Amino acid sequence: MKFSDNQYYIEKYIKCDNCGMLIYGEGIPKEIGKKSLFCSEWCVDWCRAVESGEGDPDLPLPQDGIHLIG
Amino acid sequence: MDMINMNIIESAMIAIAREMGINVQKTAYSTIFSEAEDFTCALANREGELIAVADFCPSQIGGVPLLVRSMLREIPLSDMEEGDVIVHNDPYRGGLHTPEHTVFKPIFVENKIVAFAVAVGHFVEVGGMAPGGFPGEATEIFHEGLRVPPVKIIKQGEDVPEVWKMMLANVRTPRGNYGDMRALISAVDLGEKRFKELVSKYGTGVFNETLSDLLDYSERRMRAEISAFPDGKYTFVDRVEDDGIEDKEYEIHVAVHVHRDEVVIDYSGSSPQAKGPINATLGVAWSAAFNAMLHLTDQSIPKNSGCFRPIRVIAPAGTVMNVDYPGSEVGGNTETHPLIVCAIFGAMVNCVPDRVMASEGTTHGCFVFGGHDELTDEPFGGFDFSYVGYGGRSFADGNDATDSINGNCANTPMEVFETRFPWIVEEYALRPDSGGAGEHRGGLSNVKQMLCTGDMLVSQMTNKHKIGAWGLKGGGEGKVGATLYKKSGMEEWETAVDAFGKVSPSKYSNVPMTPGDRVRVMAPGGGGFGAPSKRPAESVGEDVSEGFISAKEAEDKYGYPPE
Repeated sequence: MKFSDNQYYIEKYIKCDNCGMLIYGEGIPKEIGKKSLFCSEWCVDWCRAVESGEGDPDLPLPQDGIHLIG
Repeated sequence: MDMINMNIIESAMIAIAREMGINVQKTAYSTIFSEAEDFTCALANREGELIAVADFCPSQIGGVPLLVRSMLREIPLSDMEEGDVIVHNDPYRGGLHTPEHTVFKPIFVENKIVAFAVAVGHFVEVGGMAPGGFPGEATEIFHEGLRVPPVKIIKQGEDVPEVWKMMLANVRTPRGNYGDMRALISAVDLGEKRFKELVSKYGTGVFNETLSDLLDYSERRMRAEISAFPDGKYTFVDRVEDDGIEDKEYEIHVAVHVHRDEVVIDYSGSSPQAKGPINATLGVAWSAAFNAMLHLTDQSIPKNSGCFRPIRVIAPAGTVMNVDYPGSEVGGNTETHPLIVCAIFGAMVNCVPDRVMASEGTTHGCFVFGGHDELTDEPFGGFDFSYVGYGGRSFADGNDATDSINGNCANTPMEVFETRFPWIVEEYALRPDSGGAGEHRGGLSNVKQMLCTGDMLVSQMTNKHKIGAWGLKGGGEGKVGATLYKKSGMEEWETAVDAFGKVSPSKYSNVPMTPGDRVRVMAPGGGGFGAPSKRPAESVGEDVSEGFISAKEAEDKYGYPPE
């Protein structure tokens, strides 16, 4: 989420390219296919697995901060 | 872990949330709070995790963690002072949809924030292009009413008049909205008071330790439930019949990945976001997944963020499952949410067949209206729920005339409805034959016919007027719903398409009604479970004698009476 300098309004709404989570911070920039910004390493790994053709990725979820906003 | 303390504290916190809700109900101005109970009261910890919630509105329960955390991104703990109250309804900042206003109050103990009292409520009137908050033809967020980012509406116990004035200047029923907002605020005030009393009884150290244990306990219970599910990938596709703007269907794709004790619910493949207001927000996408999982698992698991930890949701942005700014979204929380939950059930029938039901009617009817009442010389705005049939299950028929699975909203008594709004209710009944046939038949929906007694504008956001609720395991489809209008002096009943030239019979805005006009709102029935041929003849006979199904339906669908 890119806020104006005075924080009064949002200039750009930013979401994770994998899970659609709101990203208020920097996020994790990484090029995987047509996707380029992620909220977590888990989403990077999931996206990579799907892009490589895995239909049912078996990736353990993060133990901490699973639903924290990026 | 002290199980006794944990049990007592958990029960006490649920009682606090319940008491907060009763406070909303008893002090609100609008019938959607006082009668229909379209609100939720909860407690969250300082990290934004849900720690306790009362049994009000499921669509709001799963939304609380994202709401609190998105609020905290803009108003950090360090900017909060004792006595502050924050309001937030922004669908693009973790909110569910524009009418849903959330009020947060930080709870200070020993000069430190330890928790939040949270009250989420559906305001009927929020401004925008149509009275009643559900413009079925909205194409952008600005059509749907006033968007309120997280802001303090009360600062250190004192009203912030600029915020009140700004909000109340942008709605059609400011007096009603003022009363309802005060009701939510009184609930969080009460929650703060009761929570402090509870903490003081146990001391901060024991209390915080117990809270942490409680979240871990819920997580363990949920993981134990999921680990009993067979591993695999379970998929389903359902459809929204149209978006009010274009006469075309939109697909909802669900893939539930079960591995060991964790679940990933992936909506990839769903249609690009619609022009019309059927799109889910991120909050809805999460909340629907959590709602489905709570229905599929042991009901006795304490409902808090711990039970969400083994669940990950993938809701691709720019789709009907996670709308991008500035798309319209008001129906996502009412229509698409239950459709998602049922799609997850459809997927999971191959995993846990005894825990799912066939599709329910997946709509709240969302029949809204507003105008100026000549009798009271005041503006009015109302929301009338329809009650759908639930889907049949492997062990029972579907529930009759129940609010859709994310609502849990109660019936508004006719006496209250007619007193508050310029309508006379001429018929309110179950719809015979609306439940899909099956070994366990779908539940019946309701029908309501009303006579208009005052000038008003009517809008609707509903679904399943073209596509019926699907059955499972050979069960039949539920009967589709319909809303029909009969203008004063006319003989024919017509849909909004025929009567007013609308694109959709189920999603439209600002239909003019005048005294003497009539409307007949028929909700969709639930799908059946199992082949109708397996339904015992005595059950069919009982349905006929009760008037739940007609003799013709009994003969056509069940071959009753047997030869």
